[in-house]
Amino acid sequence: MADKNDKDSKLVGLLAQFDDPDSLISACNEARLAGYKAMDAYSPFPVHGIDPAIGIQRSLLPFLVFCVGFGACFAGLGMQYYTNAADWSPIFPGYAFKISGKPLFSFPANIPVTFEIIVLSSAFATFLGMWGLNKLPMFSNPLHRISRFKRATNDKFFLMIETKDENFNRSETESQLNQWGAVAIEECRQDLTDNQLPSWVRLVGLLGVFLLMLPPVMIFRNMGMTSRSPRLHVVPDMDWQHKEKTQVLSPVMENGEYLFTDERAMRKPVDGSIARGQLEVDSEMYRGVKKDYKAAANSAKTNARLVSASIEDKEDAPVEPDQADQAEDVSMWMTQFPEGVTVDQAFVERGQQRFNIYCSACHGYDGNGNGLVNQRAMALGANGQAQWTAAKSMHDATVKDDSKNPLGRIFDTITNGRNTMGPYGAQIPAEDRWAIVAYVKALQETGIQPATASTETDGADEEKQTDADGGSDKEEKTS
Amino acid sequence: MASVNPAIDIDNTNEEPGTRAPLVLGGLDYAGVTETVCAPWEAENPPKIWWLILAAALSLLLVLGGCVNHLLMKGVGVWGNNNPAYWGWPIVNFVFWVGIGHAGTLISAILFLFRQNWRTSINRAAEAMTIFAVVCAGLFPGIHIGRVWVFYWLFPIPTEHLAMWPNFRSPLLWDVFAVSTYATVSILFWYMGMVPDIATFRDRCKSKIGKIAYGILSLGWTGSARNWHRYEIAYTILAALATPLVLSVHTIVSFDFAVSQLPGWHTTIFPPYFVAGAIFSGFAAVVTLLVPARALYGLQNLITLRHLENMNKIIMATGMMVGTAYGIEFFIAWYSGVPNEQFAFINRAFGNFWWAYWIMVTCNVVIPQLFWFKWCRTTPWFMVIVCIFVNIGMWFERFVITITSLCRDFIPSSWAYFHPTGIDIMMLIGSFGLFTTLFLLFCRFLPVIAMAEVKSIMPHGDDHH
Ligand code: HEC
Repeated sequence: MADKNDKDSKLVGLLAQFDDPDSLISACNEARLAGYKAMDAYSPFPVHGIDPAIGIQRSLLPFLVFCVGFGACFAGLGMQYYTNAADWSPIFPGYAFKISGKPLFSFPANIPVTFEIIVLSSAFATFLGMWGLNKLPMFSNPLHRISRFKRATNDKFFLMIETKDENFNRSETESQLNQWGAVAIEECRQDLTDNQLPSWVRLVGLLGVFLLMLPPVMIFRNMGMTSRSPRLHVVPDMDWQHKEKTQVLSPVMENGEYLFTDERAMRKPVDGSIARGQLEVDSEMYRGVKKDYKAAANSAKTNARLVSASIEDKEDAPVEPDQADQAEDVSMWMTQFPEGVTVDQAFVERGQQRFNIYCSACHGYDGNGNGLVNQRAMALGANGQAQWTAAKSMHDATVKDDSKNPLGRIFDTITNGRNTMGPYGAQIPAEDRWAIVAYVKALQETGIQPATASTETDGADEEKQTDADGGSDKEEKTS
Repeated sequence: MASVNPAIDIDNTNEEPGTRAPLVLGGLDYAGVTETVCAPWEAENPPKIWWLILAAALSLLLVLGGCVNHLLMKGVGVWGNNNPAYWGWPIVNFVFWVGIGHAGTLISAILFLFRQNWRTSINRAAEAMTIFAVVCAGLFPGIHIGRVWVFYWLFPIPTEHLAMWPNFRSPLLWDVFAVSTYATVSILFWYMGMVPDIATFRDRCKSKIGKIAYGILSLGWTGSARNWHRYEIAYTILAALATPLVLSVHTIVSFDFAVSQLPGWHTTIFPPYFVAGAIFSGFAAVVTLLVPARALYGLQNLITLRHLENMNKIIMATGMMVGTAYGIEFFIAWYSGVPNEQFAFINRAFGNFWWAYWIMVTCNVVIPQLFWFKWCRTTPWFMVIVCIFVNIGMWFERFVITITSLCRDFIPSSWAYFHPTGIDIMMLIGSFGLFTTLFLLFCRFLPVIAMAEVKSIMPHGDDHH
C-alpha cells in the first residue's frame, strides 16, 4: 500500500492496532472524548462495553423484527382462513371443505401453523435485517487489503479513525493514537486504479443471468401456447398404470390364450348380485310399472335386468325388453306418479332444469323435437350424410295421448330408451326422471306447438310458469 | 503463540466454591484458540481415520440411495408397512432423527438465553448435528408420501389447475410447517453464527479456491464493533425465536400421535414427554459425536471433561423424566378406567412386542443411572457406550409407541404383527451414512468450534458477563 502513488489511492483512515480488548476500549473512549465520530473498532469477538465507548446507538433491528412477526401473525391466520374456510376467489379459489367434523376455522387448530409462520418470518427478518443494516455482504473493503488486519478475525484489536471525520488530521490523529496506546498504526488506503470489477466477472454474471432466465422464459412461452403433442409425463406410473381398464381385451397368458375365456378384461358381477342401494324392488318408482300388474311378468323383467348373464350372451342384439310389452299391453304402465313423489312447483322446475340438460339437445327446449342435435342431424341426413330418425315432438299426438303413452311409459322411455332413442336411466336418478316426466306433461299442456301439431290444447293463453303448475295439477286430476 | 494440541484430558470437573471453573484449558490465549480450531482444517490431509470413516459412510449413503431409488420405482410396498400398521419404520426413523435434531438448537438457543457459557465450545458442532439429523428426518416422511414428485402439494402453493389447498386442521400438516420451519431457522442460526469464524478461515486460507469460497461465505465480515452490535442483537433474537420453536417441533410431532384416537397415542402427556425424550437423545448423540471428534482433532482443551460431564448430567436428568413419563402413562391408563387404554399399555409391556418395550426401558431408564457415578460421566470412552445405548433405547421408544399401538387397534379382527423388510433395515442404516457423511464434510471444511464465541467468554482484564 505504502509504495502506491498518492494519485492512485485515497486515504480512508488510520488503523491502529491494540493487543487486548481493554486497551481497545480505553482508546475508543479517548477518541470519543477527543471528538471523533467517524470511527469503528474491529475485534475477533464482540467486546463488551465497546458500544458506549464508540457511541453506538441501539439498533432498530428488534423493532423491525417485531413488526414483521406481528404482520406474519395476521398473514398466517388470514392464509389459513382464506385457503380452508373461504370459497370466494379473487385469484386462486379458496377451498372450504369440512373434514372430520371439524369447524372450518377454529383458533386452536390454527395456532400451530400461525406460530410457525411467525417464527419463520421473524427469523428471516432478523437474519436479513441484520445483514442489511450492517451493509453486508460487501466484498470490496480497503481493510481486507491490509495484511495486518487479517488478525482482526484472530487475536488482535483495531481502531480506525476515518478521514471523513471533521477532526481528522493525518499527523495529529496519528500522534493521538500513539498516545492512546496503539501498538502499530497503518494507513488504510483505497486503491482508485482498481475499483473496476474484472471484466470476466461481468461476462460470467451476464451469462449466468441469461442462463437463469431461460427456464422461466421457456415455461411462460409454453404456458401461452397450444400444442398438438401429448403432455409430458415426467413420472408416468400414475398416468399409465399396470392394470386393465374397462372395455378392453383380456390380458393374454404366456401360452397365447386369453386369461379370461370370455376375452374381456372386465369381470361381471356374480349372478344375482345387486350393488348397494340399487335393489330397486319398487317397480312403480323405478320402472313405472303398476304394482299389481301381472306379478309374473314383473319379476321376469326384474330378473332380466339383474341377471345380466343370459342377456349378455347375445351381446350383439340390443336389448329392448320393452318392445314386446308395449305392443301387448299399455295397461301395465303407471298412470299416476308413484307414492313418495310429490308434484309441486319445485318438482316441476327441477324437471325443467333436468330436461334442459338431458333432453333439449334433441327435443329442443320447448319439446318440439327441434333441438340442435336434431337440426344438425336432419341437415346431414337431407344430403345423405347421416341416418337419423327425427326426435319426436313432445306434442306429437301419440306421445301426448295419455291412453297410449301413460306416465309410466314416458318414464320407461327415459329409463330404457325407445326405438332409436338411447336410455338415460344410468345418468338420471329415478326421482329426477319422474320430475322430467312431470315437466314433459307440463310442456304438453302449454300449447307451444309445431305448425303441424294438433290444436287440442286448453289453457294455451296462460303463462308458462302457471302452466307448469296447471299442467302438473292436471296430471294429478287425470291420474 | 500457544503450543497446539497437548491432547490430554485435564480434570476441570471439580467445583471450587467462589471461583468459576475454567472452560478453556491448556493456557490457551486468543491465538491459541484459533490455532487449535484451525489446525485440523489447515492440515494438508485429514487423518487416515477420517478417510476410513468417510469411505464407510459413503458406502452406507450408496445403500440409502439405492433403497430410495428402489422405493420410488416400486412404491411404498417395499416397506414392511401393512394393515393396520400403516406407519412403520419410516415414521419411527423420522421421529428418531427429529428427536436427535433437538440438541443443537437447544444448546445454542436455550443455554444461550440462560447464559450457560460452557455451551460455546460445543454449540457449533451440535447445531451442525441438528441440521444433518433434520435432513435425515425429512427424508423419511418425504419418501413416505408415495408420490414424491408432487411433494410441493404439502405446501400452500397456489396452482391454477389444482384449486386445492392443504388441510390446515391436520396435525400432519402442522408437522410439515414445524419441521421445515425448524430446519430453515436452524440453518439461518447456524450460518449466522458461523460467519465470523468463516471470516477467520478466509483470512488464513492459502488456496485460491478456498479464498474465493470462504470470501463469499463470510460476506465481507470485518468484525467491526457496529456490526458486532447488530449481530449480537440478531443472535439474541434468533435464540429467543428458536427456543419456543425447538419446544414446538417435538410437541407438534407428538400431535401426529396424540391428536388421533388410538389407545396408547391419545394422551396429553405426549408433548412434554416427547420433548424430554428429544433432548435426551439429542444430547446423547452430541456426546457420541464429540468424544471421538475431540480426540481426533485434539480439541480436549476446548471441549473439556467439564463440558462432557455437564451434558451427561442433562442426559441423566432427561432420562429420568422420560422414565417418569413411562410410569405416568401406566398410571393414567389405569386411572382413566378405559379398558382400551389399559389393554394398550399392558400389551406394550407384556404383549407380543414385550421385547421392544424392555429394551427401551433398559436403555433409557436403567443404563443412564450409571451417570450417578462420577467415573462413568467423566470417562470419555465409557460415556460413549452409555450414549449409544440411550439412542438405541430412544429408537425403540418410537418403535414401541408407533407399532404396538397400531398393531392392536380397536378392531381385533385387524390385529397383526409387524415385520420390517430388508429395505426398512437398510434405509435406517443408510440414513446413518447420510448423517455421517455430512458431519465428516462439516468437520473438514467448516469451523467445528465457535471460535469467536469461545474467545468472548475467555477471561481478560475485566471479566463481566
Ligand atoms: C340424442 C337425442 C335424444 C335425446 C337426448 C333424447 N331423446 Fe327422446 N327421442 C329421440 C328420438 C330420435 C326419438 C324418436 C325415437 C323413434 O321413434 O325412433 C325420441 C323419442 C322420444 C319420446 C317418444 C317415445 C315414443 O313414445 O315413441 C319421448 C317421450 C322422448 N323421446 C322423451 C325424451 C326425454 C324425456 C328425454 C330426456 C331425458 C329425451 N327424450 C332425450 C332422441 C332423443
